[in-house]
Amino acid sequence: MNHSVPINRSSKLVALDLPLDDTRGIWAMWMVVATEATLFICFFGAYFYLENNKDRWAYNHPPAEHWGWGMLAAILLSALTIWLGDRAVMRRSYGHARALLALTLLLGVGYLIMQGFDFAGHWATLTPYSNSYGSIFYVIESFDALHAIVGVLILAYVLALPHYAPARRAPYRPYRVAAIYWYFVATIWIAIFCLLYIIPNLRVYGF
Amino acid sequence: MSTTAVAQRLKEIWETPDSIWGKFATVDHKEIGIRYLITAFVLMCIGGVEALCLRVQLARPDMLIMPPEMYDQLFSMHGITMIFFYAYPILAGFSNYLIPLMIGSRDMAYPRLNAFTYWSFLFSAILMYIAPLMGQGPHAGWFSYAPYTLYRYSPGHGMDFYAMALIFFMISLTAGGINFITTILKMRAPGMSINKMPLMCYSTLTISFAGLFAAPALIACCVFLELDRRWGTHFFSVAGGGNPVLWQQLFWFFGHPWVYIIFLPATAMVSMIIPVFSRRPIVGYSYVAVSTMLTGVVGFSVWLHHMFTVGMSDMTMSFFSAGSMMISLFTIVQIVCWVVTMWKGRLVTTTAMHYAMATIAVLIVGGLNGVVTGIIPVDWQAHNTYFVVGHIHYVLIGGNMFPVFAGLYYWYPKMTGRMLSEKLGKVSFWVMFLGFNVGFFPMQIVGLLGMPRRIYTYPSGMGWAAMNYIETVGAFVLAGGILLSVINFIVSRKSGRIAGRNPWNADTLEWALDSPPEPYSMVHFPTVATRHPLWDQHDEEDDPDNMRVLDGGRLTYITSWLDAEVVSVAKMPEETLAPMLLALMMFLFFLALAFQLVIWACGGFGATLLVAFYWLWPRKKGEEAL
Repeated sequence: MNHSVPINRSSKLVALDLPLDDTRGIWAMWMVVATEATLFICFFGAYFYLENNKDRWAYNHPPAEHWGWGMLAAILLSALTIWLGDRAVMRRSYGHARALLALTLLLGVGYLIMQGFDFAGHWATLTPYSNSYGSIFYVIESFDALHAIVGVLILAYVLALPHYAPARRAPYRPYRVAAIYWYFVATIWIAIFCLLYIIPNLRVYGF
Repeated sequence: MSTTAVAQRLKEIWETPDSIWGKFATVDHKEIGIRYLITAFVLMCIGGVEALCLRVQLARPDMLIMPPEMYDQLFSMHGITMIFFYAYPILAGFSNYLIPLMIGSRDMAYPRLNAFTYWSFLFSAILMYIAPLMGQGPHAGWFSYAPYTLYRYSPGHGMDFYAMALIFFMISLTAGGINFITTILKMRAPGMSINKMPLMCYSTLTISFAGLFAAPALIACCVFLELDRRWGTHFFSVAGGGNPVLWQQLFWFFGHPWVYIIFLPATAMVSMIIPVFSRRPIVGYSYVAVSTMLTGVVGFSVWLHHMFTVGMSDMTMSFFSAGSMMISLFTIVQIVCWVVTMWKGRLVTTTAMHYAMATIAVLIVGGLNGVVTGIIPVDWQAHNTYFVVGHIHYVLIGGNMFPVFAGLYYWYPKMTGRMLSEKLGKVSFWVMFLGFNVGFFPMQIVGLLGMPRRIYTYPSGMGWAAMNYIETVGAFVLAGGILLSVINFIVSRKSGRIAGRNPWNADTLEWALDSPPEPYSMVHFPTVATRHPLWDQHDEEDDPDNMRVLDGGRLTYITSWLDAEVVSVAKMPEETLAPMLLALMMFLFFLALAFQLVIWACGGFGATLLVAFYWLWPRKKGEEAL
């Protein structure tokens, strides 16, 4: 049994001198993002469906926005840094890529810390046990936090990878895959912040 | 190097070690496909025995063979087992085994994920069956309407296990869907452009996409249910401002696409079998392909027809009624294509063809009474009666079980190298066909006579007794027919006639391989020029200089998704225990959640992440992650 047969791409047996596939991981991550996004769409659907019970809906006190703006800034900045890092990998500037990834990770941790403060702020006036609004609000927030935690772990994993430039081609795969997931985490926060924070505040307080 | 030497080398590269470790670590799609088939078939037998118990209880009026609670648990587990843990996994088994062979690839796109998909399916089924074994099975039917499922009305652990096992199973389904999509779109043999791929690829592709977008709705409502039951939230309880209809909205947003997920691959198997035994290409290939995909798409816009009695605006109901009518057109297109193919062809009436033709007959009955219940006032009358029970069984046995048996009789020789007994097969078919119709047709009549579904007994003098007795007899005859086929499968495994490569003179690529196929499937990657590679004049395997063998490691081609031109070579992973361990850790996580053991659940979650990182970590210098 010899499973470690080296790939000899110049060999006639392999022929055609083809590159190694580097796209399957990316395809898989796009599909994970599609299905996870659908999960959040279901949550948003439930949010608006439950809103029909107007008497129980807590629009008198829409959620405070200040931590949300900070989280938005952190997550958008982190999406930018990982995008730049991904470009650095493709330029083969691995040192830059690693530094930008570390920066993304820090911003991700910052995002989570701010989310903790945001949570604590809401908890004073609203809990998941208060009413259906509290229930769906905290489920959406918690699933967002869960995705961000998993995202931070993925970033840490990619940061810990020994090298982005192995002997074969396609060195940027783990980096690119992590980046796609992180863009998703950022997009979801934009959606949550608009639907659960900004719109209710506008409805109550106007522009 | 001679072809024999190349084959020997490929075998060394691709063979799974024959050891206990190898059994748990295998990533071979053929092995995984057969495990899927066997596991799902065993679950079908368990679900079938549950159904027989129900039929005994209903055979005569005022029977008390079992208490009502036990009856409730049995019919719930029957539905859950058949609809979730049999109907999809058996089709996933066929797709897993066949699609890489049909498209000329050496494995699925993500072999380790494929192994994980199987293990997580198995463990989720085990998780689901822990609850009834504790005497606390779910008892609210397979669609478990709130608020009956809330803790106040359903104490015990039954509904917790229902929610957790289904979330776990949906993860398995999603992973499987991702795998099928990439496999079908990226790994077809050179030349097999998207308009030349077998119809089974279209259906598997459609249901994989449907699964990606349907599964989250079930996950969402199961999360809400569990939180409401055990953690004090208010999604479904009216007292806290919740809305029980939210469950129905989310469940059926998942549930109706699910019906097509467990139906379309089965119809595709019929689309594969009927042309072979009509001795001509299928009539209207493009129409079948397009109607398959449209069924998947429109399947997302009909879910409210399960809820016509809930109360909603006329406009909403009319829209969903129209959608339900429209979707039947796509099935009609397929049926017309099958019938015309047979009409224009010369029939070879094998057992597989018997089952395929029975599919058409049964599906038409089930489809027509489905169209009837799509009409709003009729639905108001028939809703929650045995008419609907008759409908669902005509659709699912016609649209899933008969095609599955057709598929088993058709591909068994490829999987085992042995032919099944045609004589015993035909006896089994007629017994099943007769038993099925005797067992389920009267349900439509008693339904119209007013017998509600989900009652554990009924008084005499309602006029339902005779029909119910006939139904019970029919159910046992159906079970007897299935048993004959099981005997056939077991006996022929050893004593069946040697099948050879292509016993049916079929047209698709899997029949060019040995029966059963070698671990590497084929020595030379085929090149495809038509939709019927084995019926044309082109020599798919013509490769005198061994230019298309890829024996420099576990390798297979990646081709462009539309035209199937070779773009790269994929390195495939080797055997590993990580997929099984990952599924096991997730099992522990969900088990802990079902018992609300928070610390254990956190441990399970952490262990799941650790195994995932171990799985992805590069083993040797230079080996890529992911």
